[in-house]
Amino acid sequence: MARIPRIGIGGPVGSGKSMLIERFVPVLARDGYRVCIISNDVISKEDADRMRQNLATDRGLLPENMVIGLATGGCPHTAIREDPSMNMAVIEEIERDHPGLDLIIIESGGDNITTTFSPALADYFIYVVDVAGGDKYPRKRGLGIENCDLLVINKTDLAPLVDADLDVMKRDAAEVREGRPFLLTNCKTGEGIGEACGHIVRDVLFDAPPKGAGETA
Amino acid sequence: MDTDGLPEMAMMQLSDSAFPAGLFAASNGLEGMFMEKKITTAAELAEFGRACLVQQLGPGDCVILANVIDYSKSRNYAGIAEADAVCTAIRTVKESRDASRMSGVQLARCVGGFCDDEVLGWYLGQIEGGAVSGTYPVSLGICSNALGIEKDRAVIMLLYGFVAGTVGAALRLGIIQHMEGQRIIHDLKPVMGRVAQESAGRGIDEVWQFLPQVEIGQMRHEKLDSRMFIT
Repeated sequence: MARIPRIGIGGPVGSGKSMLIERFVPVLARDGYRVCIISNDVISKEDADRMRQNLATDRGLLPENMVIGLATGGCPHTAIREDPSMNMAVIEEIERDHPGLDLIIIESGGDNITTTFSPALADYFIYVVDVAGGDKYPRKRGLGIENCDLLVINKTDLAPLVDADLDVMKRDAAEVREGRPFLLTNCKTGEGIGEACGHIVRDVLFDAPPKGAGETA
Repeated sequence: MDTDGLPEMAMMQLSDSAFPAGLFAASNGLEGMFMEKKITTAAELAEFGRACLVQQLGPGDCVILANVIDYSKSRNYAGIAEADAVCTAIRTVKESRDASRMSGVQLARCVGGFCDDEVLGWYLGQIEGGAVSGTYPVSLGICSNALGIEKDRAVIMLLYGFVAGTVGAALRLGIIQHMEGQRIIHDLKPVMGRVAQESAGRGIDEVWQFLPQVEIGQMRHEKLDSRMFIT
């Protein structure tokens, strides 16, 4: 059974993880990549249901059964770090039944700034903070902000509404990240989305063409 | 201590709440009963635990577990496969079947990663080939045998893990406070002991379980839009 590349997306509640995925998938699908989404919801299936409706039912970018909601027993960090076995069990079934997939996106339930993904679960970790949480976020550090493969500072359009200084966030992120990448994104305008997908294709898929490349529709 | 203590330590390892088999995500039917307001107090939680032990785990999973340990010792692979099928069949609710399978497979994979055992290796191969489901009680029996845990201890381990896990879920649901949880575990110890004794010596063809109110709650639970637990 071949391992399908996996990215984990984590971050605080309301930071925009699900919306980012909804922006990533059309870009990846446009380039021919087949994606599956596992959404770890702390309490509801709402995020998974919305992504399924938007990406699968309405736009046909992936099959409806490729958006999977998973309950985490109220412990989102446990489900992706200390005991990722429930996610692993789902992934093993996906890898067995859908070997043609190019990428599995695992969304963590909303959590705190110490969130990290087990390397056994995710090959690449994107940590998302949002501007509305305050421009202090990057310099507060935390395992997620410091150790992720790509830090995303989301909802830049809200900065003037919450008196957040994007230059301060960029300056602090650059210092905390010590040369590792970070991006500013705005899901409303698409700012930063293409660049983030570029990281995924380059750093996770190693610029490999889609598995289905050359297949007739 | 007249032994090297390895089986006892293995028992502690497998029953540790930190063991990565995903049991933290299961409420064992409690969340469904809680959301229907059928369990809202410590007393009701204790009664739920007692009912599950007496009417579900004791005559069902404990008998399966004990027989699987015997089958493992005698390399009775057909018996193990039958036990796995029975274990799947008595779980009438899909979310319960799925959770048992996912935890059982992860348990077997994890133990197989550090313990070289012929029966466990066979079982993992059967799971890979789709010949067995990989249910948790069967997997626990095979892993217990591989690690030298005696049958009566393994049965207690299964029962205790259920009670501790359910109490943990009750804490997260806000039904009880932390000290009440330990009180409930303590009070259920004699029930666990009695259930373990009653399950001893029963064959696979004597397996039963009957807890319809909880199962109906689980059937509603698996369709809920908002929930914390997978069962």
